[in-house]
Amino acid sequence: MQHRSLLILTSVLATGALTLTACGSRSNDNKSNGGGGSSSSSSSNTTVVIGVDAPLTGANSATGLGIQYGVQIAVDDANAKNLVPGVTFKVKALDDKAQPATGQQNATALVADNSVIAAIGPLNSGVAQSMQQVFASANMVEISPSNTNPTLTQGKDWATGNKVRAFKTYFRTATTDALQGGFAADYAYNTLKKKDAFVVDDKQTYGAGLAGIFKGKFSGLGGKIAGTDHVNTGDTDYSTLVTKIKNSHADMLYYGGQYDESELITKQLKAAGVNIPLMGGDGMFSDTYIKTAGKAAEGDLATSVGVPVTTLPAAKDFISTYKSKGYPGDYGTYGGYSYDAATAVIKGVKAIMDANSNKLPAMTDARSQLVDAVQKSDFDGIAGHVSFDQYGDTTNKQLTVYQVKSGAWAPVKSGTYNG
Amino acid sequence: MSALLEVDNLRVAYGKIEAVKGISFAVEAGQVVTLIGTNGAGKTTTLRTLSGLLKPVGGKVVFDGKPLTRVPPHKIVALGLAHSPEGRHIFPRLTIEQNLQLGAYLRKDSAGITQDMQRAYDLFPILGERRKQAAGTLSGGEQQMLAMGRALMSQPKLLMLDEPSMGLSPIMMQKIMATIVELRAQGTTILLVEQNAQAALSLADQAHVMEVGTIKLSGTGHALLHDDEVRKTYLGED
Amino acid sequence: MHTLPQQLANGLFIGSMYGLIAIGYTMVYGIVQLINFAHGEIYMTGAFGALAVYTNLPSGTSIWLALPLMLIGGGIVSVLIAVGAERFAYRPLRNAPRLAPLITAIGLSLALQQAVFLWYPGGDNGKRFPQLPGGPYHIGSVDIQSGDIFLIVAAVVCMVALATFVRTSRTGRAMQATAQDPDTAQLMGIDTNRIIVIAFAIGGFFAAVAGVASGLKYGQVKFDIGFQAGLKAFTAAVLGGIGNIYGAMLGGLVLGIAESCASAYISNIPGMEQLGGGGWANVWAFVLLIVVLLVRPQGLLGERVADRA
Ligand SMILES: Nc1ncnc2c1ncn2[C@@H]1O[C@H](COP(=O)(O)OP(=O)(O)O)[C@@H](O)[C@H]1O
Ligand SMILES: [Mg+2]
Repeated sequence: MQHRSLLILTSVLATGALTLTACGSRSNDNKSNGGGGSSSSSSSNTTVVIGVDAPLTGANSATGLGIQYGVQIAVDDANAKNLVPGVTFKVKALDDKAQPATGQQNATALVADNSVIAAIGPLNSGVAQSMQQVFASANMVEISPSNTNPTLTQGKDWATGNKVRAFKTYFRTATTDALQGGFAADYAYNTLKKKDAFVVDDKQTYGAGLAGIFKGKFSGLGGKIAGTDHVNTGDTDYSTLVTKIKNSHADMLYYGGQYDESELITKQLKAAGVNIPLMGGDGMFSDTYIKTAGKAAEGDLATSVGVPVTTLPAAKDFISTYKSKGYPGDYGTYGGYSYDAATAVIKGVKAIMDANSNKLPAMTDARSQLVDAVQKSDFDGIAGHVSFDQYGDTTNKQLTVYQVKSGAWAPVKSGTYNG
Repeated sequence: MSALLEVDNLRVAYGKIEAVKGISFAVEAGQVVTLIGTNGAGKTTTLRTLSGLLKPVGGKVVFDGKPLTRVPPHKIVALGLAHSPEGRHIFPRLTIEQNLQLGAYLRKDSAGITQDMQRAYDLFPILGERRKQAAGTLSGGEQQMLAMGRALMSQPKLLMLDEPSMGLSPIMMQKIMATIVELRAQGTTILLVEQNAQAALSLADQAHVMEVGTIKLSGTGHALLHDDEVRKTYLGED
Repeated sequence: MHTLPQQLANGLFIGSMYGLIAIGYTMVYGIVQLINFAHGEIYMTGAFGALAVYTNLPSGTSIWLALPLMLIGGGIVSVLIAVGAERFAYRPLRNAPRLAPLITAIGLSLALQQAVFLWYPGGDNGKRFPQLPGGPYHIGSVDIQSGDIFLIVAAVVCMVALATFVRTSRTGRAMQATAQDPDTAQLMGIDTNRIIVIAFAIGGFFAAVAGVASGLKYGQVKFDIGFQAGLKAFTAAVLGGIGNIYGAMLGGLVLGIAESCASAYISNIPGMEQLGGGGWANVWAFVLLIVVLLVRPQGLLGERVADRA
């Protein structure tokens, strides 16, 4: 009796938890299927699936959903315009919850799915590290619209000038932190005239990398580093840090990390009467940051790759489609790059079909031919020109500094930056 | 007239092992009834079942006219059945006074409680002297006094004592037995479980000898005290 | 070192929050020897309950009028969840192997987190929480926010009320008796199931108070705040001596202050530059726990296990 009720209860609870999790992902799947159904003109169509891996629930999900639907719109456009005759593209989006282990499982699942030709994603650099090898072994193209850690393309010794491409299947349409951190330091020192920066990071691959580069460049320009500290992702109390910053008399705070933490830091900093701007990378360039931090966010800054998608004439249709379809998430940061990444795949598929008398080779061959086709990409995307250098990095090295003005991110400086 | 407590074919098991295999006995109001028997005979199991801490697998218990087998322990106390458990189980980090107050947990008459508390201190003067002291600091014999005093605080119709003399010095044991005699003289009905058969039989009106879950022998205390079998097995005589 | 008073105050504030949550762990453990690992989520749902009350008040309602209602609303949510968990999840498992309620608690934790995540409007990201006006106030070199004042007042009021209740009320004494010896407590006529429910309810209410305090202090609540807070509060409860309510509060304060000082000053020690800062706070918290448990296995105010009958 005792044992039976134990068993029943435990299973009820476990199933309950699982069901709830499942509900979360199912509702997302539904949305993506709904979006994908707008095509199919001829009946003898081959279906080619483009995989997406991004955080679709939990931390960073606003940005992650922006990736999923950025790809979705590219696919819908390609299908509607019949860009690759005889091929209908579909999207298969998997949720990595911003967890490297989950990302790796998703990569394995995408590789195992014989209808998937390439993958777009992930959002987080830390997750990318766990996925690269899986795609490389399968000879499958992976294009991240947002990974900014230089190591991913140029190897771990990139900083010393010893650049080595580790995975020829890995590409990205976003530029790297090596540029973001430096671009931010340059703006802070030369434009904002800040001289004393306190530098904090969240110890993650992305955040620590960004903060390290900022620190090097800022002091290189002649600025002073008033102090450094690290935080844990998931922390909520930053009072110790705030006291340190206050005591350091820094005139700005640079934060390498995501908005989940920086929105709390800026709020606690301003509440303590420390009215210095918080500046960060694209990880905090999100509307959620402003929504949650409220007034405290005013005047804070973030760099992001590329030029604002909202200022690009080429992206006008994309934005209006995104809005009219009512897709969730933030397209502002990576939606355009996701669209372009998917387009690179679609154009690559067309190229290999053109070279193969308009037929798609068997999937294993198609995948490996696509690696070369994507490497040769050369077209104007909605977020800028798309082509890749010998490391798989984008040649489009545009960056923008945004600042929170009257409760919204406003671009304050765009430019090309080469270090 | 029916007895205060009637136990009919009571069976209790720990998992698959039956520790009490169908025993029947009765306690009349005003009597002292004793259960004796070797270690593991099932005496404690019987008392714990009567007070509701264990659920029987079969049989009937009627106390003061009401069936007890499905009543939770705290309601059994309310019916007037008090149990001073084996090993005393006083609340070590509460004071003596608080232990006694807990004995009267279900009573609302604060004047009566104060009076009974005084009676407990009269019965066991050492408890009165140390009333503000943590009960865990008392000696074994003193803890036994406290356990008995605490059980009496509920003004029970039937007081069950499980091995009150266990682990006590001979002097202390005598004192406890003397107290039981005194309680009997005051008219308290008592169900006494003891390993010290000599002492228990000499003050019991009725006695039952338990052996591996059954009642082997019953009779008046006097009769069993002079039974050859009992003398040999339980009183250590040849 | 002139930041020391401020850092001590920072530790005191966060520590009283840990303490408030820790009381729930310690009361339940003291009475049923169960570690309710879903307690962190009870804290989180309390905060969301209070936020829901606030959101549904007419806009422009003064925060001082709203606050008592939020405490009541959050308290009801937390108490119902805590008591429901006891009644339907833990009670049926009371005689099951220790692992069973533990696994149940983890399942419950996930379910509660997911429920808020999915069903609370906008619950998948941080939600703004109203903050108290006024402040920061300056006492010497120490800055205190309005939210911190609420936190400290709430912690003191809760602690004094609980201590008075446990020491002087009849139910409080029954609670102590049940903690010390549950079977014998039943022999006194105590309905121990009721006592257990009360322990869960008090713990749940205190968690809700902590949840509201956290919302007011940080201006935000999120579906995942229960995990870390729960872990820290559990550490505080063990540090202070699990089962002892004063220990829970003391453990919370010690932990908060230790964390704050460790992350503020350890990096100033020559040779320890790499081991300081906020990123190491959790590590130092657990180092502290291990050191205390090595010296005093029963925790700061815990009784030795031998005292337990
Ligand atoms: N909690 C328990 N679980 C399993 N068996 C038990 C338990 N308590 C007692 N027993 C067994 O039940 C039998 C009767 O024990 P008990 O009632 O304590 O005997 P007594 O009080 O006469 O010494 C013994 O065989 C004992 O081993
Ligand atoms: Mg016994």
